[in-house]
Amino acid sequence: MFGKLSRRDMLKITALSAAGAALAGCQPGGTPKIEEQPTQAAPKKAEGKVVVMHFRHEFTEDQMNAFMAENPGITLEFVDGTDLTRFYAMYAAGTPPDLVRVQAPSIPQFLARKLLFDLTPYFQSSTVLKLDDLMPANDYYKAESPLKVGTGKIYGMVKDFSPDLTLFAYKPAFEEAGITLDDTKSYSYAEVAEMAKKVMKFEGDRILFFGFGNESGWIDRYWMVSLAELGQSLYSEGYEKIILSENEETRKILKFYFDLAKDKINYSPINPSPGGWMGTDFTAGQLGFIQYGFWFSAMAESDNTRGKVMMLPAPNWSGKRKDPTITATGMIMTAATQVPDAAWKTFEYYNGGQPALDRAKSGWGVPGLKSMLNLIPQETEFQKQANKVLQGELTLNDTPLQFNPFLGETQVPNAFNKYLEIALKGDITFDEMLKSIEDEVNAAIKDGISAIMG
Amino acid sequence: MTFLDLQTRGLIQKRMNTFLGYFILILVTILISIPIVALLLGSLKQDPDLVAYPIRILPSRWMWSNYIQVFQMTPFLKVAARTFFLAFTCSTIVTFISGLVGFAFARYRVPGSAPLFSIIIGMLIVPGIVTLIPQFLVYARLKLTGTYWPWYLGALMGSPYFIFLFRQFFLTFPRELEEAAEVDGCGPFRIFTQIFLPNAKPVIAVVMFFAFLGIWGDYLTPLIYLNDNNTLLGVKMATGFKNPQGITLTTISLAANVYYVLPMVIVFAIAQRYILKGVITSGLKG
Amino acid sequence: MTRFSSGFHSQFIRPSLLSRRQRRILSFYLFVSPWLIGFIALQVIPLVLAILTSLTNYDGLNFENLKFIGLENYARALRDPDVKFSFGRTIAWLFANLPTWMILSFALALILNQNIKGRGLFRTLYYLPSIVPGAAAIISWKIILDKNNGLLNGLISLWRPGTAIGWLSDYALAGMTAIAVWTGLGAGMVIFLAGLQGIPDELVEAAKIDGAKGWQIFRYITLPLMTPVIFFQLIMGLIGSFSQLNLPLLLVNVGLTGSGAVPSREIYLYMIHAYYQIFTSRRYGYGTALLWILFVAVIILTAIIFWSSRYWVYSEQPDEGEKQ
Repeated sequence: MFGKLSRRDMLKITALSAAGAALAGCQPGGTPKIEEQPTQAAPKKAEGKVVVMHFRHEFTEDQMNAFMAENPGITLEFVDGTDLTRFYAMYAAGTPPDLVRVQAPSIPQFLARKLLFDLTPYFQSSTVLKLDDLMPANDYYKAESPLKVGTGKIYGMVKDFSPDLTLFAYKPAFEEAGITLDDTKSYSYAEVAEMAKKVMKFEGDRILFFGFGNESGWIDRYWMVSLAELGQSLYSEGYEKIILSENEETRKILKFYFDLAKDKINYSPINPSPGGWMGTDFTAGQLGFIQYGFWFSAMAESDNTRGKVMMLPAPNWSGKRKDPTITATGMIMTAATQVPDAAWKTFEYYNGGQPALDRAKSGWGVPGLKSMLNLIPQETEFQKQANKVLQGELTLNDTPLQFNPFLGETQVPNAFNKYLEIALKGDITFDEMLKSIEDEVNAAIKDGISAIMG
Repeated sequence: MTFLDLQTRGLIQKRMNTFLGYFILILVTILISIPIVALLLGSLKQDPDLVAYPIRILPSRWMWSNYIQVFQMTPFLKVAARTFFLAFTCSTIVTFISGLVGFAFARYRVPGSAPLFSIIIGMLIVPGIVTLIPQFLVYARLKLTGTYWPWYLGALMGSPYFIFLFRQFFLTFPRELEEAAEVDGCGPFRIFTQIFLPNAKPVIAVVMFFAFLGIWGDYLTPLIYLNDNNTLLGVKMATGFKNPQGITLTTISLAANVYYVLPMVIVFAIAQRYILKGVITSGLKG
Repeated sequence: MTRFSSGFHSQFIRPSLLSRRQRRILSFYLFVSPWLIGFIALQVIPLVLAILTSLTNYDGLNFENLKFIGLENYARALRDPDVKFSFGRTIAWLFANLPTWMILSFALALILNQNIKGRGLFRTLYYLPSIVPGAAAIISWKIILDKNNGLLNGLISLWRPGTAIGWLSDYALAGMTAIAVWTGLGAGMVIFLAGLQGIPDELVEAAKIDGAKGWQIFRYITLPLMTPVIFFQLIMGLIGSFSQLNLPLLLVNVGLTGSGAVPSREIYLYMIHAYYQIFTSRRYGYGTALLWILFVAVIILTAIIFWSSRYWVYSEQPDEGEKQ
C-alpha cells in the first residue's frame, strides 16, 4: 500500500478527515461535557433563551406566556414532542434543549452519559421547591450514580404521578358473574386472572368482552415491582445481564403473563385492542380490569361507564404489597445548558407555580409537592372512592425502581412482545422464548456498556 | 352476415362495453369509498364508539362539536396558512427547476449525463432516515435550522423524483420538434420554455400537485427543523390533538384530518383538469 | 413562430465559436446546475457522514465514546437472523404490493382516460385515499379490519358467526397490502393518466381507420408508448416497497406509551428492523449500516431493471452509440 496514493485514495482521506472534523467539531466548544457545575458565585441574573422540549398539551402556550410576562428577561422556545431523532440531532449539533420532559428510566441512562445538570444547589436555596416538601416519587430523580437511584444529588422533579399498579374495574361485568369486589383488599395476581377469566365473553373466535389489560410498554416494570416484593431483581448485580430463566421467581412471573396472553385474558400481538388502546375499550364498557394509576380516574367515567367504575388497590404477587409509580414523568435540565439560572426559574414555575397548582386541581395525578396534596378533587362519588384507594396506596411509601442504565426503555418490552408472538403461534416453546429474550436484551446491554463506558 | 348485423353487433358491443365500464367504476367507487365514509362517520363519533361492540355504523351522538374543538385545541388556521404559503411557493419553484433538469437529462446525451443520472436515481434509493441527522448538522452549521431555508433550498435544487418523472415524459417527444425549432434559431432555453413546457401540462399539473402535497403532508422535516412558534401543519396534525394526559383524541383528530385534506381535494379537482389530451402536435405546425 | 429569434441566446450561440457538440454539453450542464450545485453543497457531506456513521458505534448520544469500528456493523448484519427474516418479509411484501398496485392503477387510468361523463369527479374521488394522511387512513382501516369489532369480520359473521380473522395481526400482510394499495391507487393512477395523455390522438385515429380494434390499439400503440411511464412506476414502486416503514409502524397496537409492541412478524419488514435497532436498541451506527445494505440491494435491483430497459422501454432518444 505504500508508494503513490491514487487520486481516489486522496479524496477518501480528505473526505474522512473533513467529515471526522465535522462530526467532532460541529459543536461549539466541543462535545457536551459536564466537568464543573456553575458555582453559586455565578451571576444570579436569570436571563436568556430557554429551549424547552415538552408536550404542548402539558406545558401550554398560555402557561408559557404567563411565565414570560412575569419574567421579561427570559424567552421560552418550545419544541413540541420528545421525539428521539430531534433530540439526537440537537445534541449532535451542540444545541440540546435546556429543559426536557423525561420519565424515570431516562435518569440512569442520562446520568451514565453525563447529560444531567445537578440541581441540588438550586433546590437547597429555592423557596418554591423545598427538598423536604418533595413527595417520595421524586426519589426517581435523585441518584448517587447510574446504578444507585433513589438518594443522592437531585437532577429533576416529577410533574405529577400516580401509584401505577392500581386497578379499575367495570362493575356490571363482575356483578353479572357473581363477583363482589372489595376496594380495601389487594388481590393476588392469580386471583385477578381468575376473575378476569370469568367475565370474558366469547362468540366463536370473537371476543365480546375482554378480561384484563395492562400497558405492554411497561411489562418489564410490572415484573420488576413483583420481584421487588421479594427483594429480587430482573438483572444481575452490576446490571450487565437480564436473568429470566435462571431465577425461578422471574420464570414464574413471566409464565403468568405468558399464560394470560395464551388464554386471551390479556391483550397481545394475537389479541389486539379494538379501540386501539385499552383505555378506549374500558371506557366503551368492553373491558373488565384495567391496570392504570390514579390518573386514569379522571377519564374512566365516560358516557358508557358513568357510575359503573370502581378503583381497586394494586394486586400483589407474593402477598407483600408494593405500588410505586413506574413512570414518574417529570423534567430535567441538560448538562450542556448555557442558561442554567433562567432554566431553573422556568423549572420552578412549571413544577411549583401556577401550572403545578392547576395540575393538582385537575385530578389527573398526585402532585409532586406534599403541600399540594389537599388540592386533589373529591366531589363525585367516584372521585371520593378513588381518592380513598389512592391514600391507601400512598402510605406504602415505596422505593423507586432501578432501571438499567445500559438499556433503552422499550428494549425489554419490545423483545418480550416480539418473541411472545412467535411463542403464542407455537413456533417456539416458552423456555426458548425466555432464552431468546435474554439473548437479545443481553446483547443490547453489552452494546450499551461499550457505548457508555468505552 | 349482412352489413347491418355487423353494425348492430358493433353497437351492442359498444353498449355492453360502456355498461361494463360503468359497472366497474361504480364497484370500484364503492370499495374505495368505504374507508372514507368510515373516516367521515368516525370524525362525528366519540372515541369509545369508534370501534365499538356491538358494531355501530352511525354515531350514537353526533359530535359536530369535534369540528369546532379542532380550532380550540390548536391554532389550526394560522399554521395552515403558513403551511399553504410555503407549500405553494416551494412547489412552483421545484416544478420549474425539476422540469429544466429533467429536460436536460431527457434530450441531451452528453458525456457525464449518464453518471449524473445514476446519482439522481441513487438519491431516490437512499433511505431518508440515514441522512436525517447529518443533513440537520449541515443546516445547523449554516445556522439555518428553525427557519424555512431548508425548504427553499430544497426546492431550488429540484427533486430527484420529479426530475426522473419529467425526464421520462420528455423522452417521448419526437426529435423533429427540437430540430425544427433549432432550424428556426431557437436556443435551448427557449426550446424548453416554448415547446416542451407548454406541452407538458399534464406532468406539470401532476408534479406541482405532488410537490405541494409533499410539503403540506410532511411532518418529519418540520419536526426536526422547526420549533413550536413557526411549525407546519403536518406536525400539528400528529401531535396536536391530545388531552392533558397525552392520549390522542382520535375522533377529534379525524375531524382535523377532514379539514387537512379538504384544500388538497379542491386543488386536485382543479389540477386534474390539466391532465387533458396533450397538444404536442401543435408544435409541429408553423 | 418567428423566423429568427432575437433573444439573447442567438447572440450567445455563434456558429463559429463552439461546435454543436460543445454547445450541447454547455447547455446540459447549465440546465443541470441547480440540482448539481445543490447536491454538492448540501447533500454530499450528509451522505459521507451517513456512511461514516455506519462505521462507528454511534448510539445517538455517545460522543464521549465514539469509536470507529470499521466494517464490524456490516459483518454483524450478516450474522443477524432478523436481517434475513425481515429481508424475506420485504420481498414477500414486494410481490404482494407492487403488481397489485401497478395493474390496478393502470387499469383505472385506462378507464378514466375515456371520455366518460363525470370522469373528473371519479378521478378526484379515486385520488382521495392518497391525500388522506397515513395515520387517519389506518384508523379508518382499523374500523374495517379489526379482529373483534371490525366491519369486515362483522359482515362475515352474519354468514359464519364468531368469525375473528386477524387481518392486521395474523394475516397482517393481506391487511397491509389492502391499505397500501388503497392509498397508492390515486397516485399511481394520476401518473399513468398523465402518460396516457401524452399519446397523440392522430396515431390512435390512424390506427382506427386502419381497422384496429380496442385491444390491438392498446397492445401496439398505448402500451409501447407507455413503457417509459411504466418503467418509472416500476422503479418507484420497487424503491417504495423496500423503503416501507410508516405502515407497519402505524399498525402496531399502540398503547399509552406507544412503544411496547412491535409490528407483527408477518410485516416485520427490513426497514422496521433497522428502525428498531436505531431507536429501541440504541444501535444507531448498526442501523445505519443496515440501511446502507438495503441501499445496495435496491441499487442492484434497479440497475438490473435499468439495464433491461433498453429491450422494452420506448425512447425517442438516440442510443448512446449514435453520434449527436
